[in-house]
Amino acid sequence: MAYTIKSMADIKSYQNNVYRNYLFATEGLRAMGSTWSVLAPLKGLGEDIHLIGGEPHAASTAGTFPDEAREDIIAAETGGLGFHSCSYLKLFTGEVIRDKIGITDRTIKEGYPKPDVIWTTHLCSQHSKWYQEVSRRMGGIPMYAIDMIGGGAAEKDPKIVDYVSDQIEAGIQWLQQVTGRQYSDEFYAKAVRNEIKVLVLWGNICALNMHAPAPLDERRLIALFPPAVVDRTTDESVRLYEMLYDEVKQMVETGQSVAPDQRYRIVYFGIAHTYGHPEMSRILRDVGAEIVASVYTFGTCGNFKGIVDGKWSWEPIDPAWVDVLDLSTRRKATEELVKIVLAWPTWQGVRSWWALESMAQAMVDDFKADGLLLAPSRSCETDFRNGYVSMQRIFKGQIPTIEYDSDQVDVRKMDLPGAQRKTELFVELMKARKERRA
Amino acid sequence: MAKKGLDTTTIIERFRSVTENPQGYAKSLQEKGKLVAGYLCTHVPEEILYAGGLVPVRILSSHESQAMTRSYIHETYCSFSHDCAYQGLSHKYDFLNLIVTSSSCIHMGEAFNVWVRFAGFEGKSFLIPFPHIIETKPAASFMEKSYGEFKQFIEKLTKKHITDDDIEKSIKVYNHTRRLLKQLWEFLRRENPPITGPDVSTVTLASQFMDKQECNELLEQLIKKLEAAPGKGKPGVRLMVSGGACDDMGIFNLIEELDYSASLIFVDSCTATRYFWFEVPESRPDKLMAIAEGYISRIPCPSKDNVPGTGEKKRFRFVQQFIEDFKPDGVVFLYQRFCSPQPMDIVALRPILDKLGVPSTDLELDTTVPVTQFRTQLEAFLETMKEEVPLG
Repeated sequence: MAYTIKSMADIKSYQNNVYRNYLFATEGLRAMGSTWSVLAPLKGLGEDIHLIGGEPHAASTAGTFPDEAREDIIAAETGGLGFHSCSYLKLFTGEVIRDKIGITDRTIKEGYPKPDVIWTTHLCSQHSKWYQEVSRRMGGIPMYAIDMIGGGAAEKDPKIVDYVSDQIEAGIQWLQQVTGRQYSDEFYAKAVRNEIKVLVLWGNICALNMHAPAPLDERRLIALFPPAVVDRTTDESVRLYEMLYDEVKQMVETGQSVAPDQRYRIVYFGIAHTYGHPEMSRILRDVGAEIVASVYTFGTCGNFKGIVDGKWSWEPIDPAWVDVLDLSTRRKATEELVKIVLAWPTWQGVRSWWALESMAQAMVDDFKADGLLLAPSRSCETDFRNGYVSMQRIFKGQIPTIEYDSDQVDVRKMDLPGAQRKTELFVELMKARKERRA
Repeated sequence: MAKKGLDTTTIIERFRSVTENPQGYAKSLQEKGKLVAGYLCTHVPEEILYAGGLVPVRILSSHESQAMTRSYIHETYCSFSHDCAYQGLSHKYDFLNLIVTSSSCIHMGEAFNVWVRFAGFEGKSFLIPFPHIIETKPAASFMEKSYGEFKQFIEKLTKKHITDDDIEKSIKVYNHTRRLLKQLWEFLRRENPPITGPDVSTVTLASQFMDKQECNELLEQLIKKLEAAPGKGKPGVRLMVSGGACDDMGIFNLIEELDYSASLIFVDSCTATRYFWFEVPESRPDKLMAIAEGYISRIPCPSKDNVPGTGEKKRFRFVQQFIEDFKPDGVVFLYQRFCSPQPMDIVALRPILDKLGVPSTDLELDTTVPVTQFRTQLEAFLETMKEEVPLG
């Protein structure tokens, strides 16, 4: 019998509250920016900082309001953004253009609340340009983008750690200047520890899917993702993941799963698109094929041991390690934060083909995959599109491997019948392989 | 080596021949005993390569319709990156001693990966970590460290110690090229310039393949001749091009071959003025820091342009300055299909041009130039301007 996650309601409520606070807060500061930003520096300004992050908000809007999402994307394109641009960007900007915003509790608010600051990051070629455009359209919001130069063990390169840390420290000065607030290093250090703890706990939760049956499926992983992506700096986000980690450990010990019929284990590379296309996930579910590991849900805001002796490891980091980190000075706290964020699998893979291939091989091996599903997003240039073609070459001799194009939120860009046929073929390939090996 | 007394046509044809066969030119350098390094992005500090005894040769596209790269790079990466990857996959540059790039846009980064991963360059390649936002204060010290590692790599490759004096000489050679190219483009500010925009673009493109000392000798001769040369005829509508990499000279020729008289008077792109419109400070004690400061002062590539604190796009200041100096009647935005950063700049740049009263149009590039469609669009664009500018 399928297991029902007890922590789910609290996690959903946390997500709703973060967004509601951004929409309706009458006090405090509003901060906008990428999920891929280090968030703790904002929290040194106080405990009343309300966040809205680009990708998770766009993703959840697409899931909650498909029709609104379509209108948002069209509005952005009418406003001049190209068809090939990032569709998260277009959805997000489209809301600003239409001056209305929808959130996960199904509220639609007319009048998009202006952020006080934009605090964001830059990795792909348009990531920070997204917020430049939003800032321009809102009349010029003060904006600070951090260059998270990454790729392949970047967190072990002192030159890169120094560079990113220096930018953050300059950014903290800027935050003080632009908000006129005093900065609390005590709040900052606390937020850093929380941020690191959440990232490490999420890595531990995901790594439990190495077990058979995998306790979680992709759909639940996405649903449980919000504390890591909407605001991972709070005591509450840590509490939620500690609770979830205990619960999932218990599931493993008792052999339970949210999707117990697991005849085929799939490793997935791509931005989660299946919530936009239940037709796709149904094909898999009907034959007991589950995505048990996904670099996007695991690695966008999660940490693992990463590159050890030149090879990728999906082994989790001991959460107790976080409790003893020395965060006694601003610099120490910043460097620890930088090292953990630079170690995100997504950072590593986007700009490093060898790290990407190494993490894919380890994921296939460690999660005992029966098949590899590659679904590059047509409008995301960092969605490992750089590695998909070579990954087909590497893995097709090992396990059934298919690739079809998807898009994270723009349903127009998906060849649904073609992708369905490929998925059916994928299922047949996995069946045949299993029978051959039996 | 250029002979004295060449006429302008001969000099320009010499440059053109380099653009038409860059591999042949690069091989000829190697036959003279020089080491040759291919580079994929103009953020590569050529000065360090040159100081180490390598001649940097830019890898650009060949505009041949090809399908083979689709087995290596996703189809939604720009055709320029596909075409540059194709240069490696088709083994046209197997003779290179090194392929190098700096952290670039995602698409060109992937073109480099293809060279390294599938074109046999894994053992002779170098990726220079380079900031994605170049305007930050910490960027300079990061670049200095990156350049230090790159310098060590070159020293190991060439088994030659690179001295400060070597770098200083190299900086001076490159700055001289930059000044000469700038002088060449300045001719186009004139109402009746002695050289056409397409020819200036061709010379600039050739400079990206050439040994800079040879290039400088030819440029000096060309400029000297042009200073005394008459205008090439009354120009028509003055058009400026702004956008991404474009090494297909066909589009620039087309601008000057329309049914209406039009002249290309400026090109803001990394294959034209963005390549050289800056200088590296000379005679500084810290050579690598000087190079870092020089490259930071460049007109930013749209993929790296975001001033911390304001989110300003610094490139726009340059574009406005060029409009003031070169006085175009219209701007053609020219960018690669699937390029993300360029079109995102255009959304914000167009209202600025509107305020300045400069009309604009967009052309999206692919592997080959769709001449008929572009001709129609450009002529229609000129017709929209006829109330302000008489059409010849």
